[in-house]
Amino acid sequence: MKFSLEYITKSVDGWLNATFNPTIAFLIESVIVMVLVIALFAFLGLVLVIMERKVAAFMQIRLGPNRVGPKGMFQTVADTLKLIVKEGFTPNNVDKFLFNLAPFIVMITAMVAMAPLPFANGFQIWDVNIGILFITAITSVSVIGILMAGWSSNNKYSLLGAMRSGAQIVSYELSAGLSILVIVMLSGSLRISDIVAAQADGWWIFKGHIPVLISFVIFIIAATAETNRAPFDMAEAESELTAGFHTEYSGMKFALFFLAEYVNIFIVCAVGATLFLGGWMPLHFGTGTAFNTVMDYIPGIVWFFGKTFLLIFIIMWFRWTFPRLRIDQLLNLEWKYLLPICLVNLLLATIIAIAGWHF
Amino acid sequence: MIYELLKTSLALTAHQIIFYLIAATILVTGLLAVTSPKIFRSAIFLLFSLLGIAGLYFWMEMEFVAAVQISVYVGGIVVLIIFSIFLTEHAGKEARKAPPVRTIAASLAALFGIILGFLIIGQYPFAVSSEAFDNSVSRIGEAMLNYNEGGFSLPFEVVSILLLAAMVGCIVVAMRPGVLSKTEKTKEEK
Amino acid sequence: MFIVDYIKEVFGAIKSLGTGMRRTFWYFVHPKEIITEQYPENKENGQLILAERFRGEVVMPHDENNEHACTGCTACELACPNGTIKIVTKFDITPEGKKKKAIDQFVYRLEMCTMCNLCVEACPSDAIIMTNDFEHSVYDRNELTKILNKPGSKIRDGIE
Repeated sequence: MKFSLEYITKSVDGWLNATFNPTIAFLIESVIVMVLVIALFAFLGLVLVIMERKVAAFMQIRLGPNRVGPKGMFQTVADTLKLIVKEGFTPNNVDKFLFNLAPFIVMITAMVAMAPLPFANGFQIWDVNIGILFITAITSVSVIGILMAGWSSNNKYSLLGAMRSGAQIVSYELSAGLSILVIVMLSGSLRISDIVAAQADGWWIFKGHIPVLISFVIFIIAATAETNRAPFDMAEAESELTAGFHTEYSGMKFALFFLAEYVNIFIVCAVGATLFLGGWMPLHFGTGTAFNTVMDYIPGIVWFFGKTFLLIFIIMWFRWTFPRLRIDQLLNLEWKYLLPICLVNLLLATIIAIAGWHF
Repeated sequence: MIYELLKTSLALTAHQIIFYLIAATILVTGLLAVTSPKIFRSAIFLLFSLLGIAGLYFWMEMEFVAAVQISVYVGGIVVLIIFSIFLTEHAGKEARKAPPVRTIAASLAALFGIILGFLIIGQYPFAVSSEAFDNSVSRIGEAMLNYNEGGFSLPFEVVSILLLAAMVGCIVVAMRPGVLSKTEKTKEEK
Repeated sequence: MFIVDYIKEVFGAIKSLGTGMRRTFWYFVHPKEIITEQYPENKENGQLILAERFRGEVVMPHDENNEHACTGCTACELACPNGTIKIVTKFDITPEGKKKKAIDQFVYRLEMCTMCNLCVEACPSDAIIMTNDFEHSVYDRNELTKILNKPGSKIRDGIE
């Protein structure tokens, strides 16, 4: 029997509804989902930070953390423990309410944006009919948290970092949205499960010719910029702004910003994997070959996380290869290159979608 | 006993409780946005108010409208408001307290607005419809581009022309005189 | 043509970014290229390799007869930019009955040394050299003031 998470979720749901009344069952399910999401967050924080440090080290001909645990694998656990026991310091003359609220805004938006992500067949928190629009809408709120942190810190570096990151996220949202739109047009739905189902006979990156390839590249660039990562990390450019919007944060509040950065990377990469690389769909060549049967036995959740971590690796690869852009270069790249290319590409994709030239 | 009570009360009024919670959030944060002496806090409370409205749309299962509410108002307009606050001088200081006459006049005007709105709304009996209705995105799109009876093609185009005019106006206002001729000159020199 | 330049620019950018990414990926999949020294471990298993010209500390080599090459000319003391070296001289009586200048103590203050190598270059008789030894931490600052000539040592014959 093939491993299926849908069977587990269905049986849990059935048992809860049979035992309690629907409202109680719904509440219990919500609690289970919350616990799972928080567990996933902790897992992502630990895994992605050590992955980033190891990838960075190998790309720079170094070894990276190698003291705590086997090959340094428990380094992030130690770092997390350190951050938990550190003092959450609030400087003088800051707007205390907003200063303490900002990390939670960033964190909660990251949590909410996770709702429509399809981890496996039928393993999705909320299959809303506007799934992909929901994710783009929610991620646009996280910039508010950054602006809030920058303003309330009462520090010129924080304010500059926040303004840069605001300008950057607002402009790169356009090209991210337009490249997502290409896939939405080809699949004809905003619902994420429909988009994944449309890729059952092949992922869009293979089926959609050159326009999808271009929009994939642009999506990755825009996603890197939207998560404020190098080479687009003007918001926290260490060499000029100390740490940008989170200069004044320490202890667990800093850890929340740090965790939210990595969770946001995971979310944008998961969206990229779902839209362009087929989500939890296994890799198929042709129909009915032995290769396809073997691929079918790999569970969907493995496919999903594999593709997502591949994209995360690509984004880390960017970070440790390219130098930081200047702010004018960054805005030039968006408004003079990515956006015009995106618009032309959207037109091409429309022609393909209407004429039905995709496979 | 308590469990039974909880069960019945939850089953009866869970919808209502959630509705009133969302409505209270919208009203309280809206009030705070108006009364807060710090302008940046006002913007943040406005943000929460707008998010609450989006939550209300989600609660009514109008997901598309809710997502557009978030991405346009929260992701766009509030960010622009915050940017303009950042670029303003003395934005960190608390606003001066308004003289009491103005406070009284403003609250009277608000009260008048509330009463007027209440009276107008009270005139119409809003029928509760229990039939399911289609809120899919494709239906919204079709209505938007439909030029027959009940279509929204004309307003859609009018709004887009309005936005275009606003953008051209922005560029004209933002462009310093002589900038265009200067860039043309450097191009010729090249 | 504007549009041709534009497309050329885009492809040129992609190509140059690709070159950089290929280089980092090559290093990523070639862990043997890693140049990190595993310091405390490689001291034990003898894999600690330091560059030959690494400058750790000034020493004065003595041969098996406990003889050194320092004439006490104070060229190193004059060459030192921050007064690390202090030479205390004395007068030896040679067998012929003449007085001869020689060093009593070659005082070297490691805590003030910047390892600039100027003293070694200034020395006319190559009496001092730089070693690779870099583990200088001690519990008392006084231990950093060293006397480089060994007790009872004298100048090698034939060095003026």
